Amino acid sequence: MNPRRTRFLNRCQLFLLGLLGVGLFALCTPSKVRADGATYADELAERARALQLADAPEWQDLLHYRRTLAGGYESLQDDPRFFMSPEGKTNPEAELGATLRAFFSQDLVGKSKQPAQCAFVARYHWLRDQLEFDDARLLPIPCPRFDRWFAEFDADGISMIFPAGFMNNPSSMFGHTFLRIDQRGQTPQTRILAYTINYAADMPPDAGIEYPIKGIFGGYKGLFSTVPYYLKVQEYRDIEHRDVWEYRLAFTPPQIRRLLMHAWELGNAEFDYYFFGENCSYHILSLLDVADPQLRLTDRFPFYTIPSDTVRVLMEIPGLVSEVSYRPSRSTVVRRKREAMSGEERAWLGRLIEQPVLGKDAEFEALPVKRQAFVLDTVSDYLLLRSDALGGKDNSWKQRNRAILGARSALKVRSPEFEIEPFTQRPDYGHGTQRVGVGAGWRNDQAFEEFNFRGAYHDLLDPDPGYTPDAQIELVNVAIRHYHNESQARIERFSPANVISLSPMDSLFHAPSWKISVGMDTIKYGGCALCSNGNLNGGMGAAFETRWLRREVFFAMAEVDANYSKAYEDNYRVGGGGTVGVLANVTERWKLLATTTYLKYPLGDHSDDVRWMVGQRYTISQNFVARMEYHHREHDNDVLFTFQAFY
Amino acid sequence: MKKSLLLSLAVAFVASQTGMALAANPDTGPGCGLGKLAWGDFKNQKNIAPQVLMATTNGTFGSTTFGISSGTSGCTNDGQVWAEIKDTMFAGVNFDSLAQEMAQGEGEHLASLATLMGVPAEHHPEFFVMTQERYNSLVQAGEESPKAFVRSLNEAISGHPVLAKAVVTK
Repeated sequence: MNPRRTRFLNRCQLFLLGLLGVGLFALCTPSKVRADGATYADELAERARALQLADAPEWQDLLHYRRTLAGGYESLQDDPRFFMSPEGKTNPEAELGATLRAFFSQDLVGKSKQPAQCAFVARYHWLRDQLEFDDARLLPIPCPRFDRWFAEFDADGISMIFPAGFMNNPSSMFGHTFLRIDQRGQTPQTRILAYTINYAADMPPDAGIEYPIKGIFGGYKGLFSTVPYYLKVQEYRDIEHRDVWEYRLAFTPPQIRRLLMHAWELGNAEFDYYFFGENCSYHILSLLDVADPQLRLTDRFPFYTIPSDTVRVLMEIPGLVSEVSYRPSRSTVVRRKREAMSGEERAWLGRLIEQPVLGKDAEFEALPVKRQAFVLDTVSDYLLLRSDALGGKDNSWKQRNRAILGARSALKVRSPEFEIEPFTQRPDYGHGTQRVGVGAGWRNDQAFEEFNFRGAYHDLLDPDPGYTPDAQIELVNVAIRHYHNESQARIERFSPANVISLSPMDSLFHAPSWKISVGMDTIKYGGCALCSNGNLNGGMGAAFETRWLRREVFFAMAEVDANYSKAYEDNYRVGGGGTVGVLANVTERWKLLATTTYLKYPLGDHSDDVRWMVGQRYTISQNFVARMEYHHREHDNDVLFTFQAFY
Repeated sequence: MKKSLLLSLAVAFVASQTGMALAANPDTGPGCGLGKLAWGDFKNQKNIAPQVLMATTNGTFGSTTFGISSGTSGCTNDGQVWAEIKDTMFAGVNFDSLAQEMAQGEGEHLASLATLMGVPAEHHPEFFVMTQERYNSLVQAGEESPKAFVRSLNEAISGHPVLAKAVVTK
């Protein structure tokens, strides 16, 4: 329906009811206006075609078009109400024409049920600027709902927020990114009040085993939300123990406004959530692209988007990141404060956790007041961490914390200044998540060359900066070898997934260490010199750390192991055993991993296996390393030298 | 005090009008779709937030209609926090951190709550000292309910020689 007609009719009806009579009706019949609306819409569409606006990056970004293999376009958007044309999902030109026509109408469109000018406010303003709308011929429609929403942000800046990876939840192993809309007048003390723009999968609360499958193949809907930052801080700092990095972006006020206008439009949107491709980081980048179309950030991630890679990309753009700040998790706070304590203070820390009443003990009060405060603060941090870990189910931690805080408040002093240094360096200092390597070596008496590739992400020997310490996530890891003697090339190893999480234990922290892997490798067994072997392995154990050289992590795990190969009697064996090992930073660039494993297989091919390995890495630069690995199994020795590059 | 009570009544009235108006409108606004999800999601991690929201919205609006029909207690249909419950909601969700920071005599949660309650930044130090001094009674109120906590804080502010004059009523 023609907008002017609607408006005029409404006014008309008021007149009819309230004041005059039938006579005015003729005046209101808007045939001329309707004709003008239609012609002006055509005129604008014509001008848009001449300017090739449908091909402009701004239009492509606003509608989330991507090139298809066939050379056409397809929008990633999956809600039909996001488009004004029935062909909108695949036809940018038709969508642009239909959008222009929709701007003349007051009809409510989109999931959010507003006039098109308001529901798609970023499209309206961009087209208005490009085509220089004549406001007399295309009346601007007021959008109070948007104005209220926009004013509530009181936006003065945008920060990209990166919570580090969290090993004990598959959805957050790779970290996460979202935006914080920094408020006018915000200080470092009050930035938790700012709103965030977060993109996440709409998962049922009890999502369990099906999560990874649905997540990878797009079984969930992805949606945007605007929760206050303090809720995210609580989630990451207190509950999941994840350090958070905040990257302030140097956007101008018009860019910030564009970003928020498009975020508003995305309230109408519904995307399929793909864990690797169209994930949180991808859509956050697409918002930044709208803010500044020159950035073309999403173009850099055609296949998959890993949060830490997106942070590195932001850093590569000169002048985009204006400030980086760090927000430690509670467990980092406790660990750092404990490091800074004297032996006596550390003893009090342990005793006060168990017996909070000692906070008023004369012996404790003999410590200098500032030191008492420091110890009590740390005890309270630890007790909160324990009570949060239980989701408030066990009240005894809360009660202990109350007693400690009672003693703390009675000291009547402020806490001593204490800067928390992160254990992990900034994510943008990390290596790229994909890796290729070339190398050579010997297996028994056969020389070989090797090419290896890993899709993602980090293993225990890769350079540490930017990654969760003592954690390994390898996805799609493959090695191809060419053996000289037999002149054969073969897939030496292939592993879709190999995950290890070592968590050093001490008097305060007790998380277990664990590992799980699946894949194939090459064995020498029985009469077979180079036999393919499918394997499945999982283990659970404990780790502890020392600081003899720089830092060493010792670990021990009990494990189960299953193998499938034609080299075995009955083609398989299943058994269990254990591994002990050490992971050591010898110097800043040199890291060493040594393990030894004993496995006994009572099922299938009755056998046992003693293995050991030594691996070393030397860092040449952020994205370039040299490695030497030695693997031993019975009658089977394998030495490999490789150079690896990350990208 | 009487003035602020009148004011808050007026605010509650206006808010309930808006609340009812929006309650009739199904939850279709941008962002709020997930505003709702975020609360739901949060419930898995920790139970206080939704309870606080339920309690405060019910308390403020005097009926359960709004909370249930929009499904997003504490959240406007466009996914933002109702201005009238900002401080109560913040206090309820962050009570553990606030209690800790009150005992310590400073902190970002405490500074943020002070800001929400209209204490100008230059008077935060006085606010911190006051909350440390009154730690025990404030925590007691906080354990009763977020509303009682905010009420106690407001009373403490109005009884404070400097803060009472400094607070900017929004």
